[in-house]
Amino acid sequence: MNGSHASTSTVVRCRVNGQQVEMLVPVRLTVAELLRDRLGLTGTKVSCQMQVCGVCTVLVDGNPVSSCATLACDLDGAEVLTVEGLAQGRDLHPVQEAFMAANALQCGYCTPGFIMMAVALLQAHPDAEAAEVREWMDGNLCRCTGYAPIETAVAVAASRMRGQT
Amino acid sequence: MTTLPEVGLVRSDELPEVLAAVDYDHAPYAGGTELVPAMGLGLRRPAAIVDLKRVEALKRIDVDAEAGAVTIGAAVTHRRLSDHPAARAHLPTLAAAASRVGNARVRSTGTVGGNLCFAEPRSDLGCVLLALGATAEVRSGLGVRTLGIDELIVGAFETSLEPDEILTTVTLPFERPGMSYWKLQSHERPTLGVALVVTEDRWEITVGAATERPTRIALAAGDTAGLDAFVDGLELSDDMTGPPDYKRSVLRTHLERTLGAAR
Repeated sequence: MNGSHASTSTVVRCRVNGQQVEMLVPVRLTVAELLRDRLGLTGTKVSCQMQVCGVCTVLVDGNPVSSCATLACDLDGAEVLTVEGLAQGRDLHPVQEAFMAANALQCGYCTPGFIMMAVALLQAHPDAEAAEVREWMDGNLCRCTGYAPIETAVAVAASRMRGQT
Repeated sequence: MTTLPEVGLVRSDELPEVLAAVDYDHAPYAGGTELVPAMGLGLRRPAAIVDLKRVEALKRIDVDAEAGAVTIGAAVTHRRLSDHPAARAHLPTLAAAASRVGNARVRSTGTVGGNLCFAEPRSDLGCVLLALGATAEVRSGLGVRTLGIDELIVGAFETSLEPDEILTTVTLPFERPGMSYWKLQSHERPTLGVALVVTEDRWEITVGAATERPTRIALAAGDTAGLDAFVDGLELSDDMTGPPDYKRSVLRTHLERTLGAAR
């Protein structure tokens, strides 16, 4: 194989919030750019671009990833979930409901990232305890709401989701 | 948003094709947790990335019960390692350390091989793997080498890999009784990591994160003079997480408490 002639674009086939997507993308395109600029899904925010702050979190095959630092070419064959994919029609996801009920957002910029992290955790570990929630979320930054209402919201969502299943 | 520079993609599910493509301008690529930000910052500008994630041999976790060893592919993610039943059974300290690398997103995509080959000193895995006595298999199109972790990681952000080589697997003997790993951490990366294997007659101590690369010593149990000399002799980093004196003090206190060596 002669790597020097490597293509700078590639076809990606994946599902985003349940919708099939097939697109020719530049290799350098990040998942955040694909979502925001190509698909108009601007609920996913971008900040540090170093995988440190967590605002750009989306789920890929159920795992949380930093969409700002993940290449879109890696999504081939994947199932992607963004904050826009959580609500069922006008019914918000229990995690979204809980963030409202617990006043767990103020400016809202970090909120989609926190919500997607919480969804990932509670899907895999519905019985997550407070310490586990705190440990799981320790890579997400909030600079105005404060973390206590966010922890409360995740605990509320966890108990609601357990009640539903 | 910073747009990454134009870059090519080499992708194959065959290891020989991947090996034929890798050189300095064709960078091995798996989780991208270090390479993508480095490209965004302009620190690394490869002509192409060579995707390792489709090569099955790099994604396996194999247990050799007879030899008492586990072989982990370089493209295995931290999450897969920490969740893997064989790793949890035979390498519980490593599995636990992997479950706390970086943050939950880094663990989704970041890989064992990427962590080791980036050779960032403030890392958990290098320290734990050195303490476990791991060996690394390194391949190029021309052949294969087997290295100890201290032969692979030779300095801060420095490995002994040639530009056309990649790390393919690490092989670890089952964890021995008496092993533990503790770290001091306040941000994404550890400030100080200490792996211990303590038996009745022996102290094996491996220090990482605060040193340029993981550093190991074996002492007779109770050799407090040897312990002092080791701790005093370590060259510790001076960075935003603290000066060397602070890290030495934390290290000394931790060792004295856990080894029961306080006087």
